[in-house]
Amino acid sequence: MPETELGTHEWWESYKETVNDDPEMDVRGHDEFSENFYVEIGDERVLLEMDGGEIEALVPNPTMNHQWSFGVEGDRETWEEFVRETPPAFNHEIIASHYRSAVRNEDGHLQLTGDNKRIFQHLRAFQRTLDLMRVAHNDGGS
Amino acid sequence: MAESYQPGDIEPISGSYVHVEVEGVDHRIYFEENGPEDGIPLLCQHTAGNNCQEWRHLLTDEEITEEFRVIAHDLPYHGKSVPPTTQEWWTEDYTMTAEKFTETLVNLADALELEDPIYMGSSMGGNIALELADWYPERFRALIGLECGAYSPGFYIDWLDHPEVNTTEVNAYACWGLMAPQSPEQTRRETMYLYEQGATGVFKGDLYYYSVDHDYRDKLDQVNADECPLYIANGEYDYLTTPEDGRQTAEGIGEGATAIEFAEIGHFPMSEHPELFNAYIREVLAAVTGDREDALPDVLEPDDVGIELHQRGPAREKTAE
Repeated sequence: MPETELGTHEWWESYKETVNDDPEMDVRGHDEFSENFYVEIGDERVLLEMDGGEIEALVPNPTMNHQWSFGVEGDRETWEEFVRETPPAFNHEIIASHYRSAVRNEDGHLQLTGDNKRIFQHLRAFQRTLDLMRVAHNDGGS
Repeated sequence: MAESYQPGDIEPISGSYVHVEVEGVDHRIYFEENGPEDGIPLLCQHTAGNNCQEWRHLLTDEEITEEFRVIAHDLPYHGKSVPPTTQEWWTEDYTMTAEKFTETLVNLADALELEDPIYMGSSMGGNIALELADWYPERFRALIGLECGAYSPGFYIDWLDHPEVNTTEVNAYACWGLMAPQSPEQTRRETMYLYEQGATGVFKGDLYYYSVDHDYRDKLDQVNADECPLYIANGEYDYLTTPEDGRQTAEGIGEGATAIEFAEIGHFPMSEHPELFNAYIREVLAAVTGDREDALPDVLEPDDVGIELHQRGPAREKTAE
């Protein structure tokens, strides 16, 4: 999905396709990943409803009628760094970015919220899902 | 990778076991080596929860093993160094401490009769360079702390040893972002594979030392780098002990301590991007032996050591339509 702006409807739909086609999401138990989580880019929150390692639905602006286990929040500039083909140090992966926020109290990084146990139970599938934002954003990467 | 093998090729690495006493207990320690018997000993320490295979590309580097006797070991409870047969080790949680770690390394060097060795380790193996320079400066020719800092909090995490978590995979991929995304995917994945081989609780037990026991923020003046030269080399993508952490640590130690940043690489340099690491570390080793006339630069870039990065992240081909 080249040149499509991060967070647009078209971007999210292409991203969903990338995740649902990803071979790593089918193996090593990643096809058991059915925990919903949200991604907040600036003021815009999108809920990813996961089912068996695939994005079943994308829900913009989720409400109290929706369910999720955890989420990732960050300003738009940080997410723009995260999805770069070669991202800058410390915003290149979710645990790295969260660590700089949560442990080192630095601004300009992503922050995890929600149920830490669920995060660690599905860490690789969740991490891979987020890494695929970079793949989708750069048309598969180089 | 510079290495290329054909069927039937046998790599020049040899493996052996040596018995080493630690805290009064006999341990059977596995180590691999390559290089001339009379070469300068270079003792290489793996990262927390991992094993000596992280160093396999250094062990087969022809240029380095021409001058250095490269030795890489598995700490007790890691890799092929099984737990001691005289202890009921299954009745307690494995926990690493600075005292136990340094005693293991010094007694291993003694058991192998290493004369004036260089010590090099990464992550927990990098941090321990400070304790070695504090407590045993006379035992080593020089210390190279890769991914080394005075303090590295926040990674002693309960989920890394929890019955409702797939710790085999989590102990690996909790470290995925410690590597630079532009390092080759094959070697990053191999680093994760090595992490997946760790025994239950060992990674977390090592991290007790790394994130809790090790704290030199208020005692850098005790690090005797003036007696034993200390090189601190941290990767650009290491978010736990950053290049800036390395600079501040060296500055706090003062005379004898040198900080250098390795650009475009992360926290597992020797295994995540061996070709680039081997080129970088040749520069540091040349400084240790005096073969390098110029001072080491503040930052080493791939171009400085003749390495061209071929692969940019994210390494994945988009599915053909």
